[in-house]
Amino acid sequence: MKQTLRLISVLTVICAGAGALLGWTNALTRDRIAAALREEKLGALRAVLPVYDNAPDRDTVRIQTGGREWTFYRARRNGTCVGVAFESVSDQGYGGPIAVMVGVTNGMVNRVEILRHAETPGLGARITERPFLRRFEQRSIRDTVWALRKDGGVIDRITAATISSRAVVDALKKGLDVYLEHKKEITEDAPPSLSPQGGVKNGATP
Amino acid sequence: MTFYRELIKGLWRENPIFRLVLGMCPTLAVTTSVENSLGMGMATLFVLVCSNLVVSLLRNLIPAKVRIPCFIVVIATFVTIVDLFMNAFAHALHGSLGLFIPLIVVNCVILGRAEAFASKHALWLSLADGIGMGLGFTLGLAALGACRELLGAGSLTVWGDIKWALEGYEPFLLAILAPGGFIALGCLLGVMNHVQSRLAARSGRHVTPPQHLDCRHCVMCRFGK
Repeated sequence: MKQTLRLISVLTVICAGAGALLGWTNALTRDRIAAALREEKLGALRAVLPVYDNAPDRDTVRIQTGGREWTFYRARRNGTCVGVAFESVSDQGYGGPIAVMVGVTNGMVNRVEILRHAETPGLGARITERPFLRRFEQRSIRDTVWALRKDGGVIDRITAATISSRAVVDALKKGLDVYLEHKKEITEDAPPSLSPQGGVKNGATP
Repeated sequence: MTFYRELIKGLWRENPIFRLVLGMCPTLAVTTSVENSLGMGMATLFVLVCSNLVVSLLRNLIPAKVRIPCFIVVIATFVTIVDLFMNAFAHALHGSLGLFIPLIVVNCVILGRAEAFASKHALWLSLADGIGMGLGFTLGLAALGACRELLGAGSLTVWGDIKWALEGYEPFLLAILAPGGFIALGCLLGVMNHVQSRLAARSGRHVTPPQHLDCRHCVMCRFGK
């Protein structure tokens, strides 16, 4: 009995010490981690959106559709909506889900960035390279057939990486469909402090 | 003198990767580039030194029956600390190492050193053992990472912008894919064994390798001693 108590108390004390140490570390790093995560998101937003002067990650519209929630980030310059960005994930990737950040402006795809992927290095991983991503950019959202040329669309695939290319198109298309469907909600309501007109006009051009 | 011996044994004679062949999960998984290898190695070094110190301090308090859970709690605590700090201060590296940072908990090198060394030796010897083993692990990872990155990507990225790239080299992709890890590790182990047997032969302790390469009868790993 005495022996058992000793086992229990030693393990308890060690666990309590570990807990205290972890609590202290967490308090020390929490803000830095939040800042790093935000900086990561802002970096992706900066890459896909035109020049803006607001904080798009704090000017968002959330839309529930198809069983998941979409977040649309709105970029403004002098209160005018100059572009919208969103993150979209495709589970059609070769090595796992592929997450893309898409920036939309004036009814065109502005820029596309790959956020996360687990594709084969040297083959599927080439989806992160600019020459491939450029094939999506400056195309009209409505007038483009968002599919690989092989599947009857207009996007050229990467040689030997059809599945990865197709997954990127899939992610893009899903997000753009939601965007078109909810465009009014996304671009219309300006934040309360800014003029309501500015938010509507520029962003609403198809 | 003993301190020094415990310190350098991890670098070559008892190198965790090439001699003890422990911690193969991170060895095969993260050595696709030198940067990842160094990041992983430094994280493991920190956990190894801290866990060795704490285990050595508590070695007379921990009852033998619950020693493994105690060691695991200590190791998991330091791994979580590394995970949090890396996420806060080296966010990009944390992103590329991903799941393999939490997985340091199950790295056999660390539990192995806690059980085989730190729980039986004084604080300063355990410190030397931790530093030596951690550096040996880091260097092993870096060597493997350098081979794979050079062959598979045609570049060497030490840290951030400190990198060299081979111009006009067509990367041999297999080297940075999963099978390339096994092949590179096998080749490096072979080279290490060859060097060891040469060194042993030169110092007059010639040992013929056993006919059947069976771990129980093989003495290759004792050549260096």
